[in-house]
Amino acid sequence: MTKDDVPPMTESQIDVTHEDAEPAAPDLEREGEIAADYLEELLDIADLDGDIDMDVEGERATVSIVGGDLDRMVGRDGVVLDALQELTRLAVHTSTGMRSRLMLDVGGYRAGRRSVLTELGTRTAEQVKANGEPVRLAPMNPFERKVVHDAVAAAGLRSESEGEEPGRFVVVHPT
Amino acid sequence: MLDEALEHLVRGIVDHPDEVSVRDRQGRRGRTLEVRVHPEDLGKVIGRNGRTAKALRTVVGALGSERGVRVDILDVDER
Repeated sequence: MTKDDVPPMTESQIDVTHEDAEPAAPDLEREGEIAADYLEELLDIADLDGDIDMDVEGERATVSIVGGDLDRMVGRDGVVLDALQELTRLAVHTSTGMRSRLMLDVGGYRAGRRSVLTELGTRTAEQVKANGEPVRLAPMNPFERKVVHDAVAAAGLRSESEGEEPGRFVVVHPT
Repeated sequence: MLDEALEHLVRGIVDHPDEVSVRDRQGRRGRTLEVRVHPEDLGKVIGRNGRTAKALRTVVGALGSERGVRVDILDVDER
């Protein structure tokens, strides 16, 4: 076969090349390390006790500050936590040049919300199955809606987000 | 402590960290932290629709024990 006879790349070949070009795991670990350094120094300056745990969940880096009295770093409805997460993502972006979807947790706040919202999603799905009518839930942030969608899907029903931020909410539909 | 915390938070998100400085001013209407950054970093520190500036104010507000610390963002040429 001469050079001119090289067949065009198939789609699967293109996909493989693409995946090789962007190794997911090492970048996420680096994101976690940059974030941990940024937060560690903040805790030092503010004289706050807390340990930093890093992990990779699915396709995002997760960083948790645990221990100590961290309530004020969470704030009402998690507003301080969300602000800190935003700044931490920017710090990662400044270092790597890549947008980060890093998830920050403080004092187990998001973990706690996750279990409450999973329960809400499961219970709402049961209710919709029983009544056959769609149910609208209260407005939630993107993280919270994702948790509810996952719980509804696990219960075998379909849900969608409707409305505009920050009033966007989940609707659970009967099958 | 607050000025140092703010300086650290801002240094981490700009392209010219060595040009970040924070001045702590006690005025008649309370305490103000003035952050100065390289002009090219001003947009980054303010963010789209002031989102980043708001995040900085929220975190500084949470760290401060007193109520109502102002955070002003300026470029290095502003007095």
